[in-house]
Amino acid sequence: MNVTAHTTAGNAYTFGFLDEYAKKEVRRAVLKAIAIPGYQVPYASREMPMGRGFGTGGLQLTLSLIGPDEVIKVIDQGSDDSVNAVNLRQFIEMMCPGVSTTTKTAECTLIQSRHRIPERPLTAAQIIVLQVPYPDPLVVVEPSEDKRKTMHGEADYSRLLVKLYEDLVTFDEITLSHRYPTRINGHYIIDPSPIPRWDVPKLNDSAALILLGAGREKKIYAVPPHTQATPLAFNDVPFRVEDFRDAAGRRRACARCGCMNSFLDEFVSDSGDKTYQCSDSDWCDEQLLQIERLRRKSA
Amino acid sequence: MNIESIWQAAVQQQVFRELVETFSRPGVVRDLTQWIGNATAHRAVLATLMDGEATLADPHGSIAAPDWRLLQAQRGAPETARYVAIDGSRTPDFRPALGRLESPEFGATLLIEIIAIGSGLLSLDLAGPGIDGQRELRLEGLHTDWLLHRADWVSGFPLGVDLLLCDATCIVALPRTTRIAIS
Ligand SMILES: [Zn+2]
Repeated sequence: MNVTAHTTAGNAYTFGFLDEYAKKEVRRAVLKAIAIPGYQVPYASREMPMGRGFGTGGLQLTLSLIGPDEVIKVIDQGSDDSVNAVNLRQFIEMMCPGVSTTTKTAECTLIQSRHRIPERPLTAAQIIVLQVPYPDPLVVVEPSEDKRKTMHGEADYSRLLVKLYEDLVTFDEITLSHRYPTRINGHYIIDPSPIPRWDVPKLNDSAALILLGAGREKKIYAVPPHTQATPLAFNDVPFRVEDFRDAAGRRRACARCGCMNSFLDEFVSDSGDKTYQCSDSDWCDEQLLQIERLRRKSA
Repeated sequence: MNIESIWQAAVQQQVFRELVETFSRPGVVRDLTQWIGNATAHRAVLATLMDGEATLADPHGSIAAPDWRLLQAQRGAPETARYVAIDGSRTPDFRPALGRLESPEFGATLLIEIIAIGSGLLSLDLAGPGIDGQRELRLEGLHTDWLLHRADWVSGFPLGVDLLLCDATCIVALPRTTRIAIS
């Protein structure tokens, strides 16, 4: 990603980097995506000053939504501090003068995220934008996009269900740790982006609007607030989130904050020992702060 | 030169966010007064969404000639245009585009001007995506034939039309997924 080259080129850029025509195109697609929950609305994705795969689809959504009074949070796999998140945040700050950035989920109005939905429940005053590499869950069973579009329209997912069932029976959970196919409002099945299964239930009856953007595939789709989102499941293979139990069956805790109900990342030390920590860094900080507060109270 | 606020990018961004709000939460009335100056909500929405790529039909002749130039939209027939400007007191005499199974986004957005949103004799009970349980919406000046026709137009999801109602200053959306009962 080359941010400086584009900002030193002059003041030619409008607020939000994209020209107003590009924004209008995205905005019209966003409203249709909300009106047709789970449907992948095509749009003319623009070239962005970074490689596709850096979240250009999500970024175009963010830049079409964002206003000068926005408070934005950018996360990559739960972390505000990864190189990817920092680069995207700096790009947004430079292209959108006046916008505030935060790492605190509680304070933001707009979140751009790759691979996670924050642990803290989002509110009606927030919108989350998820970056999507592969928007179409039917691609594993049907190579022709025209045919996939018809199948989506008819909600004909029988082949996908068969494939999913075979995978679940053959490979257990492993092949479906991410991108778990989820049915929206009883019709379209979406790829919810590479969020872990842990985050899939957060799509259901969400207070916040959830927008998903795929830059390479040029698709925008949405899960509106208070909309049914049902992960696919079978009588003998129910949907389960990751359980993070150790060999003795005890729920692992975050090594940093002690939290026992968050999604954990596994770290392997040089000596080969495994430790676990909250994937959501803001959540982890919040838990530590609370412990600190309680300590001070009791002292 | 004094450019009316609705043609300014910063105002269009705010109006767009109000549109996102009302489409996300059907039946929630959004007041655009603080963004649009003396312009009507209807004109503000058109200014926000239209450009040379959009097709717009104006069967009731409600869009002034100078606005057409600024909107840059391609004129379309009400039966095929992606956006249709409508006087809500009139009765429907055309069938808008409902989209195709493979491309339901071609189902039209109907921008309907009425007398009042949030008050009035017409009372609707709404349910569906974006609504936590039920929501009540009161309207004045919408010919109920629009709702009867709409019920038919949205009966084959994902095909359908999405309504955006406007009074002088407020907007409210009724996307194709909203179940509407006249109470
Ligand atoms: Zn932690």
